[in-house]
Amino acid sequence: MGVFLSIQEQTTVRTLFALLSFLSLYGCGYDENISLNNKSIVYCSEGVPEGFNPQTVTSGVTIDVTSNQLYNRLITYDKDETTIIPALAKSWHVTKDGKKVTFYLRRDVNFHQTNYFTPTRTLNSDDVIFSFERILNSEHPYYISAGGKFPFFQSVEFGKLINNIERINDYTVRFNLNQADSTILANLASDFAIILSKEYADTLAQYNFHTNIDSSPIGTGPFKLKSYRAGSYIKYVPHESYWGNKSTIEQLIFDITPNSYTRLTKLLAKECDIISYPIAHEKIDQRPDLTLDEKTSFNIGYLGFNTQKPPFNNKVVRKAIAHAINKQAILETVYFSQAENASTIIPKTSWAYDSTIQTPEYSIEQAKKLLAQAGFEGGFEMDLWAMPVQRPYNPDARTMAKLIQADLAKVNIKVNIIRDYEWSKFLGLLAEGRHQSVLLGWSADHPDPDNFFTPLLSCASALTGNNRTFWCNGEFDNILANALLINDIAQRKRYYKEALSILADEMPLIPIAHSKRYQARKKIVKGEILNAFGGIDFTNVSKN
Amino acid sequence: MGREKTYQEEEFPTPLLQLWYNFKQTPVVMIGFGCYLFLIILAIFAPIITPYSSIENHLDHLLLPPSWHENGDVSFLLGTDNLGRDMLSRLMHGASLTFGLSFIVVLISLAIGVIIGSISALTKGVKSSFLNHFLDVILSIPSLLLAIVIVAILGPGLSNTLWAIVMVLIPQFIHITRNAVKEEFSKDYVLASRLDGASSIRILHYSIFPNIIEKLISQATLAQSAAILDIATLGFLGLGAQIPMSEWGAMLANGIEYFYIAPWTVYLPGLAILFAVVATNLVGEGMRHALKQRKES
Amino acid sequence: MLIFSLRRLNLFLFTIILLTLLSFSLSFLFPGNQLVNISGQVNATDEQLAIIGESYNQGGSLISQYFAYLSHILSGDMGLSMSSQTPIFNEILIHLPATIELTLVALIIAMAFGIPLGFIAAIKHRSKVDDTVLTISMLGYSIPVFWLGLLVILIFSIQLGWFPSSGQISLLFEIEHVTGLLLIDIMLSDDPFKWQAFQNALAHLVLPAVVVALAPATIFIRLARTAMMQVLESHYIKAASAKGLSFRQIIYRHAIRNAMVNVIRDVGLQFANLVTLAMVTEVIFSWPGIGRWLIESIYQRDFTAIQGGLLVLSSYIFIVHILTDFIYAGLNPIARGKKYGS
Repeated sequence: MGVFLSIQEQTTVRTLFALLSFLSLYGCGYDENISLNNKSIVYCSEGVPEGFNPQTVTSGVTIDVTSNQLYNRLITYDKDETTIIPALAKSWHVTKDGKKVTFYLRRDVNFHQTNYFTPTRTLNSDDVIFSFERILNSEHPYYISAGGKFPFFQSVEFGKLINNIERINDYTVRFNLNQADSTILANLASDFAIILSKEYADTLAQYNFHTNIDSSPIGTGPFKLKSYRAGSYIKYVPHESYWGNKSTIEQLIFDITPNSYTRLTKLLAKECDIISYPIAHEKIDQRPDLTLDEKTSFNIGYLGFNTQKPPFNNKVVRKAIAHAINKQAILETVYFSQAENASTIIPKTSWAYDSTIQTPEYSIEQAKKLLAQAGFEGGFEMDLWAMPVQRPYNPDARTMAKLIQADLAKVNIKVNIIRDYEWSKFLGLLAEGRHQSVLLGWSADHPDPDNFFTPLLSCASALTGNNRTFWCNGEFDNILANALLINDIAQRKRYYKEALSILADEMPLIPIAHSKRYQARKKIVKGEILNAFGGIDFTNVSKN
Repeated sequence: MGREKTYQEEEFPTPLLQLWYNFKQTPVVMIGFGCYLFLIILAIFAPIITPYSSIENHLDHLLLPPSWHENGDVSFLLGTDNLGRDMLSRLMHGASLTFGLSFIVVLISLAIGVIIGSISALTKGVKSSFLNHFLDVILSIPSLLLAIVIVAILGPGLSNTLWAIVMVLIPQFIHITRNAVKEEFSKDYVLASRLDGASSIRILHYSIFPNIIEKLISQATLAQSAAILDIATLGFLGLGAQIPMSEWGAMLANGIEYFYIAPWTVYLPGLAILFAVVATNLVGEGMRHALKQRKES
Repeated sequence: MLIFSLRRLNLFLFTIILLTLLSFSLSFLFPGNQLVNISGQVNATDEQLAIIGESYNQGGSLISQYFAYLSHILSGDMGLSMSSQTPIFNEILIHLPATIELTLVALIIAMAFGIPLGFIAAIKHRSKVDDTVLTISMLGYSIPVFWLGLLVILIFSIQLGWFPSSGQISLLFEIEHVTGLLLIDIMLSDDPFKWQAFQNALAHLVLPAVVVALAPATIFIRLARTAMMQVLESHYIKAASAKGLSFRQIIYRHAIRNAMVNVIRDVGLQFANLVTLAMVTEVIFSWPGIGRWLIESIYQRDFTAIQGGLLVLSSYIFIVHILTDFIYAGLNPIARGKKYGS
C-alpha cells in the first residue's frame, strides 16, 4: 500500500511541477517577450467616449481620445500654452477692427485613408468651410445628423459671433465677424474646432450615412482609427502621410478601464504603458520602473445646484449649503491635499483671478441660521448626483459625495447619492435637468477666462443644458458680453471681478477645488502627453 | 445541582441531545462552535460595545494602519479607512449586518421552506411532479444569478438583497423537507399512529418533525454559509448594502481603491468573512458528522 | 438508452419553457414599460412602439404574447440593449464564448486536482493526509471568491509578475472573431504572431481559471473521497482482495473507475455553483464574459440585457448539466433506467 501511494503521490507531484514549469515558461515576463509590445503604446483610459468628434461633445474622455490624435485645428497652442501657433493654417491675419480673420492653409495636408474611406484630394478651403458650416447652419444635413448639438460652440455663442465664412481661394479662408471678439482665436485653437473632410461627408451623404461622420472618423491627425469595440478598446495606427512629425509607434491602444483600482493594477502588472488619473500615488512612487506625471491645469471642481428646482431655486438655501460643507476635509480626503481650495471658479494662475472674493467659511451655525431664514429648520431631502468617472477636477466624486452627505446630515439635510449611470448617460440626464444637485467640474479649453464663465454659467449654455445649474442672470450675461468686446486686459479684469461678485452672492454653484491632472506611466515611455488645456496628445510619444 | 439518582435509570436522551453528545466529541468542531457563538454575541451586542460609531469620520486619522504597525495608533486597534472610520468598530458592526442578517435570512427561508415542503409532501400526482421539476430548474440556476435578477427587479439595497437571498434559499429547504417527510411517512411508526386515527398534521407535528429537525438544521448551516457569502458578494458588487453601511463585502469594495497603499482595508473584511464562513461550516460539518455517528451507533 | 434520451429531452424542453416563461415575466416585473423592457427600444417614438407592440402581439392574451416572445427569441431577436442600443444577441455571441472558455477550463482544473486528491484522502482515510486534505478543502470553499481573486492578483501579477491580471488577451493582438472561443480562434487565424498570441491568451487564462476552480475542486475532493470510501467498503472490492489481487491492482482496475462514475453524477450540479463563481471572478479579472456583462447591465438598469443574459446563462448551465447526465448514463448502465430526480 505504501509503495503504491508514494508512486501515486510522486506522479501527482511530478505532474504538478511539469504543469507549473510549463506555465512559468512564458509566465515570466509574459508581455516583455512580445515583439509587438515594443512598438505599441497601451493607454488605459478612464471612460467610454461619446463619439469620435469633439465638435459634438464637451466631455474630457472624448476630447482625450479624439482631438489631438485624429484631427488638427487651423491653429493651436504652443508648448508654453499661451502663444497661438500655426497648424493647418500656416499663417493668419486679423484686421485692425478685429472683425475679419483670414487663414492661409497648408497645401500638403492629407486625410486618413482607412478601410471605409479613401481620400482623393488634400485639404482645402472647402473642408474648413464645411467643418464650421455644419455648426452654424441649422439647415445643414450634418447639423441635423448631430441633433443640432455642438455644446462648446453654442455655449460660446459662436453663431452670433460669425457672420459668414468666405472662400477666398482654394487655400485661403476668411471668417467675417459680427463684432470684435477677444476670444475668437482662442476658440479656434481649442480642442473642439477641428477640421473634417468635406469629401468624406459628401460620400457619406450619397448613402445617407450622415451620422457616420461622428462615429467613423476621418481627419488629418497623426493617428487614424483601426478598430473600436464599444466600451472595451480603441485601436489607432499612425497616419502614414501625416503632414507633421510622424509618430514612431505602430499601434496606439486605448484600453478602456473605468475602474481606477483595475487601472492601477494593470499598470503595476505592466499591462498598461500609461494610465490616466492614477490613484495611490505613493505606490507608484515606490516602483523604480514607473513615473508620475502632473500638469497644473485650468479647471474647477464644483457642487452645482439645479436652480430651477426647489429648494435650490432659493439662493439662501444654496448659501446655507456652502457654509455647511467642510471644504478643507474634502481637499484632504478626496484630493489628498494636492489641489487648491477654490474660492471662485477662476484659478489663481489666471489673470482674471480676484483675491478679494473669499470662500464662505465653514460654519454649521451660519448654515442653520440661513436654512431657518429660508424656512427649512427641519431640513429636507435632496438628490446629489456624483459623476461616475475620475476627472482632474474631481478624482473621486463618490467619496466627495459621502463627505458632503455626512456634512449636510449635521444640518438635517438628508442626501441621496446618485451615481449608477454610465458617464455619457449621466451627462445626457444632466443636460435634461433631471438632477437636483451635482458634483461636476470643468476643464478650460483655452487660457481665456471667458472659457470659465460663458460655458459654465451663461444663459446660452443653460439652454443647451451645458450650464448644469440652469441659472440665467441677465446682468451677469451682459457683463460677460461687454468683457468680450475689448482687448485691454485691465479693463476686462474689472468686468470679470463684477461677474465673480455676482456669483459669490448668487451661489449657483459652490467652487470646491482647482486641481492638477495626473497620469502614471512606465519610464520607458517618452514624450509629453498632458496638455494644460483639455486633452492629451500622443504625437510625440515613443518607447525605447 | 444534579438530581439525586435513587434508581439506576437508563437515560434516553432526545435525538437532539444525542446529537449534541456526539457533536461535542470533536475538539475542532467545538472551537468552530465557540467562534459561532462569539459571532452571534457580537452580532447582537455590536452597537453597544464598539469603541466608536461605525460611520464617524476621524479626519485627522485617515488610512491609519493597524496598531501593531509602526505608524499605528493604539486608539484605533485595527486602523482606519479612507474616511478615517475605525476599522474595528466597522468590522464589529459588520458582524451584525453580514453574519447576523444571514442568520435571520436562513430562519425565514427555513420556516417558509418547511411549510411549503410539508404541504407538497402530502400532495401527489401532477402537481407534485410539476413542483419537483420546477424546483430542479430553480436549483439549477446559480443562486447568485437568481439573487442578482431579484435585486434587478427590486433595485439595489441591503433589504432587497436579503429578500432575494431568502427567496433563493427557499427551494433547497422545500426540497429537503419534502424528501425527508416522504421518507418518514413511509416508515412503520407513522403507519401505526395513522392507524390510531391521527391526522396528517398531527403526525407531522408529533412524529415527523422531531425526527427530521437535525437534517434541517444541518441544511440550515450549509445555507447560512452560502448566505454569508452571497450577502458579502452582493455587497462587494455594489448591489447589496449601500455606503456607508459596514457590511463586510461592501467594506471590502470600499477599501479596494486603497488596496495598494492601505492593504488592511481589504485584508481585514476578507478575513472576517472567511472567519464567519469557516465557523459556520465547522458547526455544520460537526453536525453532519454527529448525525452520521448516531446513525451508525 | 432511447428512453433515457427521450426523458432528458423532455426535461430539457420543460426547463427551456420554464426559463423563457421566467424571462418573459421579468419584463412585467421590471420597472417601466413592459414593451420597452422586452424590446429595449428606449428611443422609439410612439408609432414605432406601436409597430413593435404588434410584433410582440401586445393586443392579444398573455399566452399569445408569450408565444410571440418565444418566436422572437427563436429567430435570434432578444431585443436591443437599453444602454448601448446594440442587439442583445450580438452581445451574447461576443461574451458567452469567453465564459464558456473560462468555466470549462476551470471545471477541468477542478476535476483534475480535486478528484485525485479526494481519492488519496479516501485511501489514506483517517490519517494526517486525510486531515490536511479536508482542512484545505474546508478553507477552499469558505473563502470569498472576490477576496481570493484580489490576493491572487496581488501575488502572481504584481509581486511575482508571472501572469497578467486582466482581460482575455493582450490588446496588442488582433484576433478575428470566428467561433468566439479565443484559443480556437487563435489557432484558426493566420496572424504572424499566432504562437505569441496563444501563449499570451493561456497566460491570461491561468489566474481566473484557478480562482474559479478552487471552491469546486474542494467539493470534488469531498465527493471523490466519499465515493472512493463507499467503493472500498463494497463487497466486490472485498471479493477482489480475497482473490489475491494487490491493493494497487484493486485501486487501478476497479475502485477508481467505479468511484469516478459516482463523482461524475454530481458534476452537473456543481456546474451551477462554478458559473456563479465565474461571474464574480469575471468582474475581478475584467474577463470579457457574460457574467461581467450581466452585472454591468444591472448597474445600467439594462433590463433587456438582464433578461437575455439570465436566459442564456441558465440554458448553458442546464445543457452542461444534461451532457454530464449523458456521460454518467454512458458509464453507468443502471442509471439509464432510473427516473429523474431519484
